[in-house]
Formats: sequence, C-alpha cells, structure tokens
Amino acid sequence: MDNYTLIIAEKPDAAEKIALALDNTEMPRKLSEKGVPYYVAKRHGKEIVVVPALGHMYTIAAERKGRNHYPVFSFKWVPRYITDRKATGIRSWLQTITTLAKKAETFVDACDFDVEGCVIGYCILKYACGAKEHESKRMKFSTLTRQELEKAYAEPLPQLDFGLTEAGLARHEIDWLYGINLSRALTIATRKRSKRYVTLSTGRVQGPTLRFLVAREEAIRSFVPIPYWKIRAQIETDGRVFEARYVKERFENKKEAETIANSCEDKRGEIEEIALREFKHPPPFPFDLGTLQSEAYNLFSFLPGRTLNLAQQLYLDALISYPRTDSQKLPSTIDYASILKNLGKAKEYYDLTSELLLKKTLKPNEGYKEDLAHPAIYPTGNLPGRTLESSKRKVWDLVVRRFLAVFGEPTTKQNMKVYVKINGLRFYVSGRRILTQGWMRYYEPYVKIDEVLLPPTRKGQIVNVKETHLEEVFKEPPSRYNPSSLLKDMEEVGIGTKATRASIIQTLYERRYIEGKKITVTNLGFEVFDVLEKHCPQVVSTALTRKLEEKMDRIRENKEKRQNALTDVIGMLQPSLAAFKEDEEAIGEQLNDALERSKLEERIIGTCPVCKIGKLVVNYSRKTGKRFVGCTSYFKGLCKTCFPLPQRGTVRSTGKNCHRCGWPTTKVYMKRHQWILCFNPECPSKTGNEKS
Amino acid sequence: MKCAICHRKSHVGKYCRSHEKACENIFRSYEQWRKALEISWKEYLSQIANNPLTGEWTKEVVQHLLKNGEEANVKDH
Repeated sequence: MDNYTLIIAEKPDAAEKIALALDNTEMPRKLSEKGVPYYVAKRHGKEIVVVPALGHMYTIAAERKGRNHYPVFSFKWVPRYITDRKATGIRSWLQTITTLAKKAETFVDACDFDVEGCVIGYCILKYACGAKEHESKRMKFSTLTRQELEKAYAEPLPQLDFGLTEAGLARHEIDWLYGINLSRALTIATRKRSKRYVTLSTGRVQGPTLRFLVAREEAIRSFVPIPYWKIRAQIETDGRVFEARYVKERFENKKEAETIANSCEDKRGEIEEIALREFKHPPPFPFDLGTLQSEAYNLFSFLPGRTLNLAQQLYLDALISYPRTDSQKLPSTIDYASILKNLGKAKEYYDLTSELLLKKTLKPNEGYKEDLAHPAIYPTGNLPGRTLESSKRKVWDLVVRRFLAVFGEPTTKQNMKVYVKINGLRFYVSGRRILTQGWMRYYEPYVKIDEVLLPPTRKGQIVNVKETHLEEVFKEPPSRYNPSSLLKDMEEVGIGTKATRASIIQTLYERRYIEGKKITVTNLGFEVFDVLEKHCPQVVSTALTRKLEEKMDRIRENKEKRQNALTDVIGMLQPSLAAFKEDEEAIGEQLNDALERSKLEERIIGTCPVCKIGKLVVNYSRKTGKRFVGCTSYFKGLCKTCFPLPQRGTVRSTGKNCHRCGWPTTKVYMKRHQWILCFNPECPSKTGNEKS
Repeated sequence: MKCAICHRKSHVGKYCRSHEKACENIFRSYEQWRKALEISWKEYLSQIANNPLTGEWTKEVVQHLLKNGEEANVKDH
C-alpha cells in the first residue's frame, strides 16, 4: 500500500461513511493499527485511505509550566494528551496518522466544513502529517450521503479554507488567553485566602453570559408588583356564555374601574358591530441550529446541548444535513423533489409528501439568516435503517416535518371581534378560526391550532349580560431564563458561536454559578460577577465580546491578521490582570465568603418545623463523624431538634415541604437510586394513619 | 459598613447593593400603589410582603422596614 490519497475525517463514523461512498464496490477494507481504525477504499483503480480524527487532537498549552502563576501570554499548540491526562488514546491515534501520512501521495481534508472542523484538519495536516497543510485539498459537503460525498471528492476545493482556519485558530487562542488568565486569577485569589483548591472560572463568553443572568436575577429579586384592573362581562347568547372585555384594557385606579363595572350591572347588551379580519400566516423558516434547539426545548424539554448531540448523531447517520449552521436557507441545488420522494417511502409521510409533489414548483419559505459554509438543516431523504432511539427519532421527525412545512402554503386565519354595547359602554368578544390549514397540516403535531369559535350573531341582536366583574391583575416580574431562551439571547446579541453556546451554559451550571431549569443565579455567581465587574469590567462587557466576534469575522474574510487580534487582547488583559493582582487579598476574601455561604446554603434543608425559628442543617457529629440533621437554634440553647440521615449517598434539600405533613424534605441520591425523605416520624406516610 | 439585612459589605447607605436596589424599587412603586388604591404606606408594605410576585430581596427589605417602623424610613428617603 503506497502512493495513496489520505483523507482525514473528523470522526470514526464520518470516516466509515466517506469510505463506503468512495469505494467502487461499497465494501472498503477496515483495518486498524494500534487500535486505531482506518479504511482502504478502491476508486477507479486508485487507493484511498480514510483515517478518522477524534475531534480536536491538538490544543493550546502555556510555554511555561506550572499552574500557580499569571499572566500567561506565551503558548504553543500541542497534542491533547499533553494537557489532558484522560486523553491517553490520542498518542497512538496520532502515531497511526503519522505512519499513514508517510506513504501517502496526496492529502484531502474531509473534516466538517466549519471553524472547528477547519482547525481539526489543519492541525493534523500540519503537526501529524508533516506540514502538509498547504498541499492538501478540501472536501466540502453538508450531508454524509453517497451522492454528495462522491461529488465533494471529485470536485474538491484546491486548498484549505485558510480564512476560516485562521479565524478558528484565533478564536481558540483568544479564548484560551481569557480563560487561563482570568480563571487562574480567580482560583489563585481564593486559594491564597483559604489554602484550599477550588476551581472558579470565567471566559470571554462566559462573563457576558453571566451578566445577562445576573441582570435578570436582580430584576426578579428586587421586583415590586404593581396592581391594575381589567373589566370583564359574561355575555350569554344561544345558551352559551362568553367573556367580553372592556375596550380599555387596563385601569390603574380601582375606583374608576369599579364605577364603570357597576354601571353595567343588570343591563342588557346590544351587538353593535362585527369586525372580521382575514390574514395569512406564512410557513416557518427552515431550521438553523438555534431555532432547532429552541423548538426541541419547547416541545420535548431537550436542553440545547442534548439537541445538538442528537442532531450530530443524525448527521453521522446521514439522516439530516450538517447541524452546526446559522443558515435559514435551502439553496435550489438541493434536490427537494427527490428528498420528498424518498421520505414518502415512510408511511407516516406518504400522504404529506405526495401532496407536496403535486405542486408545480417547490419553493421553500426561507429566512434571512445565511451561513457561507452550510445550508439550513434538512433531512437527506434517507430513512433510518433500524429503529431510532426515541429522542433521536423525535428530533429527526421534527426536522422532517419542518422541511415539509416550509414548502406549504400560508395558513389563512380569520379573527372575529364582536362589539357589544352595554349601557353605552363598548365591550368585545374575540374569536378566531382557521380557514385553510396550509403549512400547519405538515407540521401538525408541533403546532397548536387554537380556534375560538363564536356562535352566529347579527348586528342589533340583544344579548344577556350575566355579570360584570373586575379582575385584579399584577404586573409580573420578567420571566426567568431557561437554557433555550438564554441561548436565543446570546445568539441575538452575537456572543459565542452556534457550536459553543450550549457548552458555555453547561459550564456555568458546573461551576455552580447558576442552577435549575428555570435558571437562578447562585450567591457564588453573584460574587464572581461582582468581582469581575469591579476589577475587569471589560471581561463581562457584551460590547467587547461582540467586537472580538466581529474581528474574527474579518479574519475569516482575510481582512484582518490573527496576530493583530491577539495583540489587542493581550493589551486589554494586561492592565486588568495587574489590577486584579493588586487586590488579590480583598478578592480572595469576597470569593471565599461567597463559597462559604453557598456551602452553608447547600446544607440548609428548610425551616425547623418544631421551633419555627432556626434552620434544619446537615451536620457531622464530632464524636462519630456521622451526619445528621439538626436545628441551628441548638447553639443558642433554644431547640434540640435533630434527625438521623442515611450515611451514604448525597443529601440535598428539595426546597419543598412534604405534601402530607408540611415538614421540609430532602432528596437522597445513592448510586442510581434516589428518593424523597420526610423527617417527620409522625408523618402519615410513615405511620399508615393516612386516610386513603 | 455592613448591610442591615444580609451583613454583606454596603458601600452606600445601610443596605448592600442588592437590598438598596430593592429598597429604591419599594419607594418608587409606592406612588403607583397609592394612586391605584389610596392606601397608607404601612398597608402598602404588608400588601407587597404577602404578594407571591414580590421579589425575594424586596420582601427582606419590607420585613426590615416593618420591623423598624415605617415612619422613620419614609423620612429617611
């Protein structure tokens, strides 16, 4: 085996798909060296070797060793096993690639065509293949289907996309500079004070994301509800009762609202006007990653990271196109009709696809967002070979139905407003109905059709007013972020990338800066933000992060040099870190206090149900070392309440009281088991006294 | 100086930054409540203390204001 073409794929699954597509017999040989699989395919008499990478195999490391110093501004790219102790397999993997590269004649980079894929391919070609980055060709594809892979191999780009690669390298290096320096500054300041090691981190995108969350949390926690009133009338016609609203939506003075409501009591109403309005609701746009993540969260409660993983698996199964895309466009080069025909082979889509195929032209309703590298997410037309795992199936079905819906006709809706005069005052009843279903038919399980049908009425008709009443309403606080809405806001403001946003949110959870599906900022999150805002305000500034994103876009377009961007970042970090070092002691104290408080908060189960003053806290006996729950009023000599706890597993407060006896409860996590524990020995659930 | 409620550092006045913000909101919103319901300051405080939509920090400040006598606080602000 000599003088072959070496193709670098991003992942083993992708390598297999590429080899299968390029081998003339569709039966490439699977070989392995040092446990690393690779494929040998024969195409038109020539040999092709396809070797997979394992995602990022190279990373950045500081030139100077040791973790106890900052600032760190000099770095180098190294194999990942050098910085990550767990990545031991990478060494043999890279050795195999190097061996295969020695006998290769030509090189082709077939990693995903995006920023990360470009960096993965570039580093392997440069460091593992012996500086072949300028000789290599580039395969560009958006699906792992045979047709597209064959085309991408036959018509490769003559060289790597160096603009995209430089932008990717710059992103990695800038993020590393931010992350390593600021995280070390936080961690070292904390450790100097407490002599204990605690990982605290922040980063270029993490800081501004925390800012969003802190601002929202502050607005919620310091919220004062303001009352206002609405006037409603119960109107009876044809034996059915409808709620009519007064034309003025809100009253800020109760007396004024009461006077109007009282004047309508015991009166009859007359239908004064019937207003009909027809409008068209256009089909949705094709999915980009953000909207797919948001839709999957709303429909299935999948966290954005999970949706991305599932979509990635579906891409590797060649069922959908490349998911890390910002595009809402489906170019006409995609053969819509053949995809629909193939999808129609599944009986659940047969009727829908047949209808669409009857249309003279298939034109998708595209959005405004574009991505130079990939189109919007669409199904390839391939059907799953085996039954898909339930959550994967859900995401695939969602992508398929969305694809069908974008070709649908607009839905026609009719809004109806019936105006009723009661004692000279105008009220209205609203109704709506769907005249033609249009695209909703294709997207039906995922779109709510909420019709409110009103009975036939005519102008001048007299109706009974059963009652009028005031509804007291309070202005509500802003809603809490959830991972999906946070991701959407990050996207709107332009911080992070489609590939990194979900993992940044995950890091905030792991660092315990935030908690819960409806996100709450913890005390630690507040303190870290406070420290950063005080000492390095630029780090949490959305504007600066966005500016850097713009700079990276310019690098991508070859309008800016990577080195300039790095120099700017170092210039910004240097004074911030110097100021941070000066205040290290005070910062350490502030962060330690926050850590102590958050530790104590984690131990609190709830208010003591016996003395009703102290808090029940998880404690450890000095004599036996065993853990138990005791009241904090014990130390004041006020309450001796205590209860035993299971000695193994993790105990956390549920934040809720027992629904049977009202005492605080905890959740015990032991390996795979978890259960709710109520402390009350007299709880009806334990004594069997509960009435069935 | 320490916050009268949570004992964290306070830079201005008797509350920390968080409780100060809640306190400002309480005083600012009273005018709207008074126009809406014509209620006294004390009634207003107990109404918002019992409202489930009221923020956590706001409730803590309300408790503190009620405990320490609302008249003095009105004058302070």
